[in-house]
Amino acid sequence: MKRLLFLLIGAALAASAVAQDKKPAKKAAAPQAEKAADKAPEKLAAASPEIPTENFHAQCIGCHGIPGYKTAFPEVYHVPKIAGQQPGYIIAALKAYKSGERSHPSMRGIAASLNEGQMKALAEYYGAPAK
Amino acid sequence: MSRLLFVILALALSTIVEARGDAATGQKKAAQVCAACHGPDGNKPSAPDQPILAGQYYDYLVRALGDYKNGRRNNAIMKGFAGQLSKQDIEDLAAWFSSQEKTSLHDQR
Repeated sequence: MKRLLFLLIGAALAASAVAQDKKPAKKAAAPQAEKAADKAPEKLAAASPEIPTENFHAQCIGCHGIPGYKTAFPEVYHVPKIAGQQPGYIIAALKAYKSGERSHPSMRGIAASLNEGQMKALAEYYGAPAK
Repeated sequence: MSRLLFVILALALSTIVEARGDAATGQKKAAQVCAACHGPDGNKPSAPDQPILAGQYYDYLVRALGDYKNGRRNNAIMKGFAGQLSKQDIEDLAAWFSSQEKTSLHDQR
């Protein structure tokens, strides 16, 4: 019985020691990870060959690029006009969909797949004055 | 007789579809509640992350204000403003903003 108790205490101590070891390592790694995340979207939006920015809005056209287009049953209303909108608001809206603050199912799915650089690219495309 | 009934029915249906707020009433309400941030006609947002409302679809505006009011759209500032609006206020405001022809909003891309 004593032996079991000893083993348990030993295990607990070992676990806490491991946990302490990990904490500083996490702190050191976090800022670097954040920096990398900051840089990555810009690269993606600007230079990645997989995501050509000039056609990146193709995913929006099906609903937002058809004049008078409406959402589906049961709640039917016009899909909002986003062309000519303020870029800052477009980014804010996409972030709100991504975080779940706004709850439209299609927009949640789309926004969840976008990183910040891609949101910015879309906002700049749609926010630009009409040609 | 059946023709008269049809006409009455058609008229009744059309009023349901056309049931809209009053833009002139909405203009007055907008001056009190919305103008400080969105501009009197919804064309001049005071901050980059606030939307242009002028020329936006009527039913989308009704929907957005309703969502703010009932908390489905969770924005502290807009909840405060939309919370004090009645259904009629919302329809009037949507009628006012959606009727603006001078706007940069469009749906051609």
